[in-house]
Amino acid sequence: MWDQILPGLRIKLFMTVLLGVAYPLAMTGISQLLFPHKANGSLITQNGKVIGSEIIGQNFAKPEYFHPRPSSAGSGYDATASNGSQLGPTSAKLIRGTTKKDEKGNEVVDFDGISLRIVHYCVENGILYESSTPLEKFKDASGNLDDVKLIRAFNDDKSPLVFTPKAPIPVDAVTGSASGLDPHISPANAQAQLARVATTRGVSADQLNQLVAQNTEQPDLGILGEARVNVLKLNLALDVQFPKK
Amino acid sequence: MTSIGVLQIAIFFGLILLCAKPLGSFMARVFEGERTFLHPVLRWLEVLTYKVSGIKEDVEQRWTTYTAALLSFSIFGFLLTYVLQRAQGFLPLNPQHFGAGQVPPDLAFNTATSFVTNTNWQAYSGESTLSYLVQMAALAVQNFASAAAGMAVAVALIRGFARQEKKTVGNFWVDVTRATVYVLLPIAILGGLLYVSQGAIQNFKPYTELTTVEGAKQVIAQGPVASQEAIKQLGTNGGGFFNANSAHPFENPTPVSNLLAMFLIFVIPGALTYTFGKMVGDTRQGWAIFAAFSVMFLIGVFVCYHFEQAGNPIVANLGVQSTAGGGQPGGNMEGKEVRFGIASSALFATVTTDASCGAINGWHDSYTALGGLVPLFNMETGEVIFGGVGAGLYGILLYCILAVFIAGLMVGRTPEYLGKKIEQKEVKMAMLAVIATAFSILVFTALSSVISFPVKGYWNPAGLATANLGNSGPHGLSEILYAYSSGTGNNGSAFGGLTANTPWYDLTIGLAMWIGRFLFLIPLLAAAGSLAAKKKIPSTAGTFPTHGPLFVGLLVGTVLIVGALTFFPALSLGPIVEHFLMHSGKLFSAILTPHLFWS
Repeated sequence: MWDQILPGLRIKLFMTVLLGVAYPLAMTGISQLLFPHKANGSLITQNGKVIGSEIIGQNFAKPEYFHPRPSSAGSGYDATASNGSQLGPTSAKLIRGTTKKDEKGNEVVDFDGISLRIVHYCVENGILYESSTPLEKFKDASGNLDDVKLIRAFNDDKSPLVFTPKAPIPVDAVTGSASGLDPHISPANAQAQLARVATTRGVSADQLNQLVAQNTEQPDLGILGEARVNVLKLNLALDVQFPKK
Repeated sequence: MTSIGVLQIAIFFGLILLCAKPLGSFMARVFEGERTFLHPVLRWLEVLTYKVSGIKEDVEQRWTTYTAALLSFSIFGFLLTYVLQRAQGFLPLNPQHFGAGQVPPDLAFNTATSFVTNTNWQAYSGESTLSYLVQMAALAVQNFASAAAGMAVAVALIRGFARQEKKTVGNFWVDVTRATVYVLLPIAILGGLLYVSQGAIQNFKPYTELTTVEGAKQVIAQGPVASQEAIKQLGTNGGGFFNANSAHPFENPTPVSNLLAMFLIFVIPGALTYTFGKMVGDTRQGWAIFAAFSVMFLIGVFVCYHFEQAGNPIVANLGVQSTAGGGQPGGNMEGKEVRFGIASSALFATVTTDASCGAINGWHDSYTALGGLVPLFNMETGEVIFGGVGAGLYGILLYCILAVFIAGLMVGRTPEYLGKKIEQKEVKMAMLAVIATAFSILVFTALSSVISFPVKGYWNPAGLATANLGNSGPHGLSEILYAYSSGTGNNGSAFGGLTANTPWYDLTIGLAMWIGRFLFLIPLLAAAGSLAAKKKIPSTAGTFPTHGPLFVGLLVGTVLIVGALTFFPALSLGPIVEHFLMHSGKLFSAILTPHLFWS
């Protein structure tokens, strides 16, 4: 039985060379030859500079761009720290958000939560809503919504803030993706943002609609996965066709 | 559920069914040493492996020697993986300059165990911990090796049933080499290239630093991903290159690559049922097992899909659309990717936990209570629904032994399976495997639920181990239960909210992996040895046929009842109670303990 020991070491070393070195090297060689663009990360270059990857999401916050989904990768769309929220369906943190104290002792947002995301989504995109307390009460001196106050209000057990949109919110707009790097949003999410982008760029909704339609990918082979809009590609197309004046 | 969603499930299942016979009969020929169409191309590699490793191709082994070979193979795999991780700072292909600091001993132990046992639990985050060389030469090699070892054990057990009055069950080294050279490597090469064609990356570049359209800095992780991705799925390993695993767009870029991933996970386990039938000389026996697999798989996938599409009523009450339609997926999209939607995510979660894969394309921690129950229960059955490569087949054969034993008790006859009398020794070995895994899951879960640690201890931050949870309430119990089920079942997927990278969890989950792998394998190899020595008895009118629907029903019943009896109490305190609380709108706040990391 002891004669079984040595072959174990020898075959493992051989496998390390064959499967651990030769196999990935050969695969890299073939891939770089056949699919160089994809094998290197589907990078998009503009004026000689890499500005992103077609299939890795990046953050957009300005009103003239379509916005991606909420992200839990690092501090948001960190492509070296892919992750989701890891919060379960009965997590108060997921639904109402949490705050924390920063180094200076100020209360800041720890996790925004679905309720707060709904508020922002409605306000940004002009979706009508009802609120148990007028949102004006949550604005700071410069007129911006104070997220910390809102999260506190959602977490107020005695009389929590109840905020109800009058049109249903597309589910992907207010939930975090698994990778935190989701490059896509649903077509419904793009539609809901369309009016905002059209107004800030001074173009008609119809013109934009066409562009969104062109950038909507149908399910693969007609049946696999879901219809989706690539946010980065759409925004780049926007800048080309309807540059902001 | 949408019709397109159901169709995706049907297409996937059709592909597996279609490949069972051709691949299954190919593998039967490979393991019986017959020539196949790949021999002209690859026979030299097989011979070279024997030569380099000092293996004699035509020597057969008894079950004890076979087990010794398996252990030697695994232990050297463990040592090499451990050393390569700890030494990564001194080795090439390390553009991000990771060192031993990223992989302290407890983490390196956990990861080496994890990959050698085909678990691929990841207490680390790939893109910020491991060099390209470690990913390739340590982890991907174990992906091949642990899968090949699983196939070898399955084949040895099949030989136990197929042979009579023999003392040997085959040669471990030969089985492992053939599995690698003729089955795993060719499919991995094809699969890897398909992955790249979809957008999975395959390069050795340093991470790409760039400025985004809005002017922010973004660093994009790179690496030889596709080559690892293919064997990760094919070998039902599941350890991702990146933290987000198969949800990461570089690992799983499109719905097509998603289908490819699931296909690679199930194709060998599905086909091995045919190999089994072929080798024992009655393909109907193989199809009966395939049928039992299919029944349990389809129940699981539709339960999971139903509850994920139904979504979270608490979120729906906030005004979020919960039904699919109007250009959005509806359902529970927290922790899921838009390109996959609900159906492809629920299907993936079921497939990856039916098999002992453990890759994820969405976070199971964020699944609804009962949607998340399906992956949890799948693992607790011992992953015998198609199951891991080889592991699924030897696992279900264990349940076959129990099923005929129960049938024998009911009618008062000595149980037989495939003409072999099932006697005291086989049943004892089967029960040993079942009890060892149940013990590992439940006892470790119980311990971690109550244990508390002193201040400045090594094992965990001070206080209760439950402080490592990312969710409180019943979902927290599910997180612990999931971790040990995943470790013991050699699955490797996670309810990722649990902070599992502390010495306490690294060590106990590592132990669970060893128990789940070897206290399952060795009893089965012992049973194989005793079965091979037995005479075959001719079947008579009184023999219970093991290829009909009655047996399939009995087998499914045995799996479900053993699983339910063992785990129902724990499951009812976790996901089941959470389901009802979710519908009454109850929320749980985070546990308010200081979050100290050990250092």
